Amino acid sequence: MKTFPLFNKSSAFDGIYLVFMLSRLQMLYYMLIMPTILVDPYMIWVIILVGAVSQLILIMISKWFSSEFAAKGYLGFVELFGERTVRILAFLGLGLILLKLSVHLLGYVEIVHQFIFFSMKPSWLIFFVLLISCYIASKGVENTIRYSVIAFLCTIWMLFLFIPFYTPPIAFLHDLYPLIPTEWSGQSWRGLLLIMASFSGAEYVLFLSPWFKRDKKTVKYFSVANGITIFEYVFLFIASLLFYGANYLSKSSYPLVNMVRYLQSPLFERIDMIVIAMFLIHFSFAIGLLLLLLYGGVRIAGGNQNQPTRIGFAACAIVVFITMIIMNELLWKDHSRQTKLIDLQMWIGAATYLLVPVVLLAALKRKGRT
Amino acid sequence: MMICLVLFLGGCSPFMESHLTENNLIEEIAPVIFWSVNKGEEGKLKVSTLVPPLTDEKKRLNTLEVDLLKQGEKGFNLTYYREVKTGQLRMMLINEEVAKDGLLPVITTLLVDTDVSQRLYLVIVKGDFEEYMSKQIEKQENLDYFIYRMLKHYEDDKGEITVINLHQFKNYLYSPFLDPLLPVFKIEEDKFMYEGTAFFNDDKFVANVNGIEDNIVQLLATNNYLDLLPLPEQSVTLGHVQANVDTKLNDLSSISIKVKLNGSIDEYRGDKDIHDYSTIKEINKEAKVYLEKKTKEVLKQFQEWKVDPLHFGTLTLKPFEKKMDHEEWMKHWEDMEIDVEYELEFEPLTNIDTNDGDHLTH
Repeated sequence: MKTFPLFNKSSAFDGIYLVFMLSRLQMLYYMLIMPTILVDPYMIWVIILVGAVSQLILIMISKWFSSEFAAKGYLGFVELFGERTVRILAFLGLGLILLKLSVHLLGYVEIVHQFIFFSMKPSWLIFFVLLISCYIASKGVENTIRYSVIAFLCTIWMLFLFIPFYTPPIAFLHDLYPLIPTEWSGQSWRGLLLIMASFSGAEYVLFLSPWFKRDKKTVKYFSVANGITIFEYVFLFIASLLFYGANYLSKSSYPLVNMVRYLQSPLFERIDMIVIAMFLIHFSFAIGLLLLLLYGGVRIAGGNQNQPTRIGFAACAIVVFITMIIMNELLWKDHSRQTKLIDLQMWIGAATYLLVPVVLLAALKRKGRT
Repeated sequence: MMICLVLFLGGCSPFMESHLTENNLIEEIAPVIFWSVNKGEEGKLKVSTLVPPLTDEKKRLNTLEVDLLKQGEKGFNLTYYREVKTGQLRMMLINEEVAKDGLLPVITTLLVDTDVSQRLYLVIVKGDFEEYMSKQIEKQENLDYFIYRMLKHYEDDKGEITVINLHQFKNYLYSPFLDPLLPVFKIEEDKFMYEGTAFFNDDKFVANVNGIEDNIVQLLATNNYLDLLPLPEQSVTLGHVQANVDTKLNDLSSISIKVKLNGSIDEYRGDKDIHDYSTIKEINKEAKVYLEKKTKEVLKQFQEWKVDPLHFGTLTLKPFEKKMDHEEWMKHWEDMEIDVEYELEFEPLTNIDTNDGDHLTH
């Protein structure tokens, strides 16, 4: 049987790919619902503040990138924690990856369903999005990393679409007042959590460290990606505040998509359709990467040291598909359960982003001493 | 493009939810461009629209009396062989009687419908639009489309009428400091004409202003520009009037508004000598006094009606202070002292003899 070179390493990637990858992984489904949850103008500062915290975490992760264990990949983890612990951690990780994957996939599918294919069965949409993601993932880790460039270029231009919202007659400075928090409620905490979860993503990138060159500039690339993300979040959030005002923002679902819909083009009336279609490239990259991590995790948890096989990967994808269909039926369709699922992912996303690098660095320190 | 897409999807029936399959064949649908809502008998709504909007068939007005807005849409489908679609809905003409009871139910229905664009224009109508439409449609076939083009024109090219779309209205409605405003059109025999700007207390239509008062509202708030500003009492028409408005809130008991108008004198029909510099100065002064008086009157009326359509409430917003709520602001606004000052600056007259008119008489 022909080999299935899913996890091959032919050459080490330059750090610039980290910029594309990280900045796309930090801008997923949460970007689209963020203004609805943040609502108040002072959250601009919170985004910047959390961005700074994220920068500290990224410095930690770049320390990991430059350690000798990182270059060894799986064996490095085994050296650090022992095989048994690694297998247990990988098993736990499967659940986390599946949860992240489900929120972003189902969230995207719901947007497609609501704005473009209203009468199509969501299950088919899940099928198609997963199919595309599987195709990308099946090309291997290397190609998926390369694909991040396409994902980046296909979505970054959308920022230009939001410039009109910064000009009169839409923009009034007073829509951004008051700029300081006058009260801090449970909703504000939820916003903080959401921002933290939105900035996560690098904790998945660190498992790809063997594919990258080991150099001292990693932290620079991470900082650029983080900077782009902070700018994008602040830019989009201010645009939505100017367009809706703080009072209506909480009532609007998917404010950014609705804003794009408000734009008029003489050629094509529904620009939102193009934008949502472009997001498919972005989301299929993220989902493809998560699928690869999931398959890798399954193999580690199962203690399988053989070459990856097509059948194994396909089986993994089918399990994911079935899980997604069930989650969609049971959890996503019910609005209150959907909110709970999103909240759960917010907690877990924020927690993993904080904990994973800390645990890794602690393990590195301990190893360094003994 | 859309139609191709929809046709393509229509063909792929296994992908569709069977009970939701939409058939958007252009021959079988009627994408209407306006709804008109009027008050019917016994609390009912009278909903009407013009069909067919696209093909060469003879147009006719469909009117139904219903309890709910969407019931009208359903009702049309039962009486008309094409299916009515709201994807191209561009205007909502609401009768003043309906608006007096509150627009919130209508607005909510529109906001919920994902087919309806946020750029939908909202218009208040005085008079029986259905009757006017059914009479006029014999003479002007594309009347509905013309009305839409008119609103669209003045949305892009400011200077004559107030144009507000669904998105703006909804933002005004939900904000504590922005009271909504809408254009008012009235029907006079066979004319459908712009009358002025309507003001709302929450979602309820309170009153409207017209003529010079409407012009002042446009200069101060909606457009800051007027193509023509006729002042009949001074026998003068000002053209290309640009307004720079500087509003200051001195604590919460008084407000001072300074308006600087730039433009040109386009017409003079008085009996003074227009070529004389001092005459122009005099006209200037008269216009200033007149505008100041009128503006004060308009603002006094707003205070009486308890509306703040010029959005002075936004002046209370400060970067480092807590927001006031709507009630608190209204309390302050109601007995606020208003100070208005105009400053008029008009370009010298051109293309005419500025010395004297003597050689014309020879």
